[in-house]
Amino acid sequence: MKLTTLKKTAVTGTRLLLAGTLASLALIWSSASFAGGTEYDLRVDGLACPFCAYGIEKKFTKTEGVESVDVDLKKGLVIVKTGDGKSFKEDELKTIIHDAGFTMKSMTEKAR
Amino acid sequence: MTTINKNSACRWQMMLGASVLLLSVSSSGLAAPITFNTALPVAKEEFLFRQQFIVMKSGDDPSGAQRDRTETMSATTLAYGINNRLALFGILPYRDIDLSMNMGSSAVKRNNSGLGDVSAFARYIFHQKNQTGSTLQLAAFAGLKAPTGDDTASDSLGTLPPPLQVGSGSWDVFGGLVVTRQTLDYQLDAQLSYRINNEANNVEAGNVLKLDTSLQKRIWPRELDSGVPGFVYAVLEMNIINQQKNTVNGANDTNSGGTRFLLAPGLQYVTRRWIAGAAIQFPVRQNLNGNALELDNIARAGVRVNF
Repeated sequence: MKLTTLKKTAVTGTRLLLAGTLASLALIWSSASFAGGTEYDLRVDGLACPFCAYGIEKKFTKTEGVESVDVDLKKGLVIVKTGDGKSFKEDELKTIIHDAGFTMKSMTEKAR
Repeated sequence: MTTINKNSACRWQMMLGASVLLLSVSSSGLAAPITFNTALPVAKEEFLFRQQFIVMKSGDDPSGAQRDRTETMSATTLAYGINNRLALFGILPYRDIDLSMNMGSSAVKRNNSGLGDVSAFARYIFHQKNQTGSTLQLAAFAGLKAPTGDDTASDSLGTLPPPLQVGSGSWDVFGGLVVTRQTLDYQLDAQLSYRINNEANNVEAGNVLKLDTSLQKRIWPRELDSGVPGFVYAVLEMNIINQQKNTVNGANDTNSGGTRFLLAPGLQYVTRRWIAGAAIQFPVRQNLNGNALELDNIARAGVRVNF
């Protein structure tokens, strides 16, 4: 009788441990996904020289939550990556690009 | 001695035009012409810095006095974007001027140096058309030059004449229009400007009308790759400068003013953070009044920093 009780207790403990581990893993995965932020691919008109392109980089790097900014002059593409759950509305991105002296033509957004 | 000074006064004055007319400072901190401005925007609430070094030599003297004038200038420019269309510019020059000439049977050398007159102006972009890989911008600008430089310096021969003063003593105003077409392969700029010079110390330099154009052609890399590579531009600029006669004690100086046509080949290396560029302006044609001193050349080199 005592042996059976011990076995049940062990099984229950193992299940609890497994559930706890799974919950922790889910939480870690969720946090990692959350910290990955968003990637914005912006089509920008008016980008035609390296020095001018830096104006956009400066505006974004000063914006809270932006992790990186990459510019591809040839494609007229600005790739902005955010972290810590930071997200932008389209109008916010348009304003930043506009303040730098350029025009945002279109954008795509994807989770990182 | 007094007689020599009086006779030579006109010869000193003849050179006034040279400094006023030719040493215009290209103020823009952007990828831009070397000898004048651009219409490209300065990002909102951002600063640009430019340091330019200019050496101007004038020594072809039709008067026979063997006048030889060399001016070395360091011009510091700071630009600030109020918004994506309106930008403010400030220019502080440091000038070093050497002048030699024959006075009677003796050769005279005179020198002066110091901070020159500060200029400030505003530029507004009133038309902007951005397309993929290109832009077209039209801007108007207006500003003034304040008499912050010393205009009363003297040496052992007495008070230096205006061409040797680092400051003009006058408040002058200027304005104009500038257009820029920029693509990934080239940039084309053109500027029409007018400067109204006012009287100080009984001397009024003639007003100046300028037409400038600049073509910057990317020569490297030949084919664009991804990212933001550095660009090397071959530059060719043209300046047509017309100055009215100076007025000295209320009378026109017949040995001043005229028209100059200059060409300036140059090179520019443009990166994301900085630009280095240099050009030499050569006079192709000089149609000057009387015995006005002719220009030999103007060498310009500078850096611009995006910070």
